[in-house]
Amino acid sequence: MPTVRDQKAKVVSDEPAARDNSQPAGDFEPSIEVEIAGVRFQNPVLTASGTFGYGQEFAHLIDLNRLGGICVKGISAAPMPGNPPPRIYETDSGMLNAIGLQNVGAKRFLEEKLPFLRTLRARTVVNVFGYTTEDYVRCIEILNDGDGIDAYELNISCPNTRCGGMVYGNDPKLTEEVVAASKRAARLPLWVKLSPNVTDITVLARAAENAGADALSLVNTFVGMAIDVETRTPRISNVTAGLSGPAIKPIALRMVYQTARAVRIPIIGLGGIATTEDALEFLIAGARAVQVGTANFYAPDTSIKIVEGIRTYCRRKRLHVDDLVGSLQVPTPNVEKATEY
Amino acid sequence: MDDQVVAVIENKPLGSSYGLLSLDAARQAQAARPGQFAMVRILGTGGVLLRRPMSIYDVKPDAAPHSGPRLIQLLYKVVGRGTRLMAGLKPGDPVALLAPLGHGFFVEDYLEQAEQADEVLHVAGGIGIAALLMAARELAEKGFKQRLFFGGRSRGDLVGAVDFRPYLRQIVVVTEDGSCGCRGYVTGPLEDHLARYPDRRFLLLACGPWAMLQATAELAGRYGHRLLVSMENRMGCGLGVCLGCCIRVEGEGHGAYQRVCTEGPVFWADKVVWERGTLPIT
Ligand SMILES: Cc1cc2nc3c(=O)[nH]c(=O)nc-3n(C[C@H](O)[C@H](O)[C@H](O)COP(=O)(O)OP(=O)(O)OC[C@H]3O[C@@H](n4cnc5c(N)ncnc54)[C@H](O)[C@@H]3O)c2cc1C
Ligand SMILES: Cc1cc2nc3c(=O)[nH]c(=O)nc-3n(C[C@H](O)[C@H](O)[C@H](O)COP(=O)(O)O)c2cc1C
Ligand code: FES
Repeated sequence: MPTVRDQKAKVVSDEPAARDNSQPAGDFEPSIEVEIAGVRFQNPVLTASGTFGYGQEFAHLIDLNRLGGICVKGISAAPMPGNPPPRIYETDSGMLNAIGLQNVGAKRFLEEKLPFLRTLRARTVVNVFGYTTEDYVRCIEILNDGDGIDAYELNISCPNTRCGGMVYGNDPKLTEEVVAASKRAARLPLWVKLSPNVTDITVLARAAENAGADALSLVNTFVGMAIDVETRTPRISNVTAGLSGPAIKPIALRMVYQTARAVRIPIIGLGGIATTEDALEFLIAGARAVQVGTANFYAPDTSIKIVEGIRTYCRRKRLHVDDLVGSLQVPTPNVEKATEY
Repeated sequence: MDDQVVAVIENKPLGSSYGLLSLDAARQAQAARPGQFAMVRILGTGGVLLRRPMSIYDVKPDAAPHSGPRLIQLLYKVVGRGTRLMAGLKPGDPVALLAPLGHGFFVEDYLEQAEQADEVLHVAGGIGIAALLMAARELAEKGFKQRLFFGGRSRGDLVGAVDFRPYLRQIVVVTEDGSCGCRGYVTGPLEDHLARYPDRRFLLLACGPWAMLQATAELAGRYGHRLLVSMENRMGCGLGVCLGCCIRVEGEGHGAYQRVCTEGPVFWADKVVWERGTLPIT
């Protein structure tokens, strides 16, 4: 009887098995640690907000201690009920979501979720959102009392709620305002997660940097939609929804590349990462760390396989992760030839 | 709950758009309880991204006479890309299986309710039948009297009914086109039954399309019987983290919205808020 189960089970990500190194690695052991705003991560792979719950949900599926960090589901000062169903819909190589930022609120997060996260070697990054600048500040003030949080990640880019983050993330002035106020309130490093739904992401990136952001995460989801042509109704109750998954990767990568050249603060890259190669592309484009999002849903072991994949790559290339960051080689065009035309 | 790569043992077509998939998954089969489900990912094809939720239709021992269950069986209807890929699976093909998931029918005071009832009534709409077989067997083993009301669009949509025979005193079949049994919706004969025996106490278990569940909930409420519904919704993860599967349920939980994959898929019908204006899932 054929039993695939007998071959190493638990292996379900899209990640191909680690390739044999063509050259012997010798005694070179790369460092895959990274530092972001004074916080050291044991490796550059984190899980993205909203795709990994509060970590505990995955505890019996993967070894959480092997992750660089966990960005928890977006937290607000007060609990949020979320949107009516349907909230998600699968599209080609991606998915749409309009969850509506349902969450238990900052107080219950501290009481119920943080004690578990504190026990892990993976760093805890708390994703924060609000509908007014005061909301953001109030949420951070509550979280400041928590023990075991390593950084805040400000979600100014949630495309799901009409009066929500959209406004902040799309306007440099509003971005500066909320980042500056949050920075004043925060006792911990402040990452700002940018919206990709803008014409020039570097404008918003610079606005966040000028207002005191310690690091930038990009990108959040792209606003999209889908229609059921039989009923002529939207597939998602909110009508528009955020697109994530492999479909967005090339655009996210381009935005990380552009932003890395426009700011001095570290960048955490994400958007459609599902394999080691995806993650390496983001690092080479200029991200100091990466986050895995949608892939957690269908292949929970993706992140730890990427950690091992990055280690193997670095050994083979005899590079530390820090050497890899922003190491993109762009050949200069042959000018003489070009001018012939 | 376990995430395993398992092999297809058999994939048996049932008419033109249904099939029964048997997977070699001993550990998960042994842990499965009535009403629980699995998240299935078809590997090696670029076709779909997310796993698909499927009720655990049945668990079966393998040929050897020893030990407990070894196979997990999924009864599926081909409705789109994912289930079409499922229909193409061959023996030996690998499938990523996350199972068993969710609270099945054995929530809280379920058995107590069954004990107080004169009869358990199963109400199934189409492929919703898949959620009920293991519950019917378990209740039959405990000696409960049971009846099944099974509705489908047409004769070909009434798959699985024969598997219930050993456990029930009657199967009432209804089709929308009248090609098998009486014509109409399953709630028609169900209401007749409830009206005929006003003094009996029933426990109802139902699974099927939202509209059918809502109509059944309305009947159960009107006639004063308890009803457990196995709810469906699109699912992103099955793990409780994407919050894509939430439906509105009264009381505590993730706000007023609870996760079908984690707090469900089985809920007491009188706790479900049948929201007006909710879009159909399909
Ligand atoms: C707890 C649970 C148990 C289920 N058990 C079974 C089962 O035993 N057998 C079975 O055949 N089906 C079952 N379903 C429904 C099954 O998951 C969907 O039919 C399947 O995901 C469709 O996938 P697809 O790729 O073929 O279709 P898609 O191409 O994704 O979509 C085709 C159509 O199906 C709709 N659809 C997508 N996902 C779902 C969903 N989760 N529920 C209902 N409609 C959906 C889409 O909106 C679309 O209209 C169950 C669903 C849940 C939530
Ligand atoms: C279901 C779902 C919920 C999400 N919730 C949040 C959230 O609460 N806060 C946030 O900043 N980003 C949220 N995101 C965005 C992801 O963190 C990530 O930026 C995006 O999905 C792109 O990465 P990916 O393609 O790897 O998924 C969510 C994404 C999904 C799919
Ligand atoms: S399917 Fe993701 S939370 Fe239920």
